[in-house]
Amino acid sequence: MGWRWFHEWGSPKWFYDRAGRWQRVCGFLALALLLVGTLWGLGFAPADYQQGNSYRIIYLHVPVAFLAQALYVAMAVCAIVLFVWKMKLADVGMQALAVVGFGFTVLALFSGSIWGKPTWGTYWVWDARLTSMLILGFLYLGLIGLRSAIQNPDLAGKACAILVLVGVVNLPIIKYSVEWWSALHQPASFKLTEKPAMPASMWVPLLINLLGYYLVAAYLVLASMRTVILDRERGSAWVREVIERD
Amino acid sequence: MIEFQFDSLFNFLRMAPHGIYVWPVYGLGLLVIGGLAIWIRYQHRQAIRKIRRIMNRESIHEPKA
Repeated sequence: MGWRWFHEWGSPKWFYDRAGRWQRVCGFLALALLLVGTLWGLGFAPADYQQGNSYRIIYLHVPVAFLAQALYVAMAVCAIVLFVWKMKLADVGMQALAVVGFGFTVLALFSGSIWGKPTWGTYWVWDARLTSMLILGFLYLGLIGLRSAIQNPDLAGKACAILVLVGVVNLPIIKYSVEWWSALHQPASFKLTEKPAMPASMWVPLLINLLGYYLVAAYLVLASMRTVILDRERGSAWVREVIERD
Repeated sequence: MIEFQFDSLFNFLRMAPHGIYVWPVYGLGLLVIGGLAIWIRYQHRQAIRKIRRIMNRESIHEPKA
């Protein structure tokens, strides 16, 4: 067994074939989980005693905000793999993750902003958590821009990897901003290490949606990676075989 | 026991007084995630079309035996 699996992961052809199957499984599971979690959260979970029904935004906002950061961590792992093992697939992963991560960050910012209006009385404040999330959005946007500005794909990959690793400094700022500064944003509503403060009828649908959105992200990243692989490997014989077979 | 928290569909949609905040968030979620999925699918098809064009061009210019 040994490291064979690791080398297999490095092969674009191997990955392209498997990712197609994984993508479908992720898509179906995500759809089922999100349907259950969202319906439960919107219609069956009790209203919050302080925030009323506005708290139901939590079932989208918390998972997408989690993911906006988790996808950046995944990008940082890809950047390290690219520098250490020079694996082509790691660069493909970085490219796909940047687009999906940007989408989730935009969603986290807008959903939080809309939630802010009934809760804080304003759509936006220059609070540490909100500002650091906005910076995360700009980092994703910067990565997309940087890649499209450099023609040489190898050079673009390396430049993006450096920017990704520099941007990692923003992640602890996002996480601890509510503790380090007196922020308007509330502390984490959900921690994997502690029993939630809310009743099970509220946190179970949140957990289901968290899993569902993770699978949506996996679906989107895998689909995007397959497209990037096709484009980059268009000269290879295996890509031509795939196209002829379809 | 899990119970539906609203006494009618109208009240569910109204989610008084927060329906105007809650529903747009889920609409936006559908728009962004659905948009990303469609855009990625479109890019995939474009990539396939591009490769097909290259393959066709190459088969036209291939020297005949």
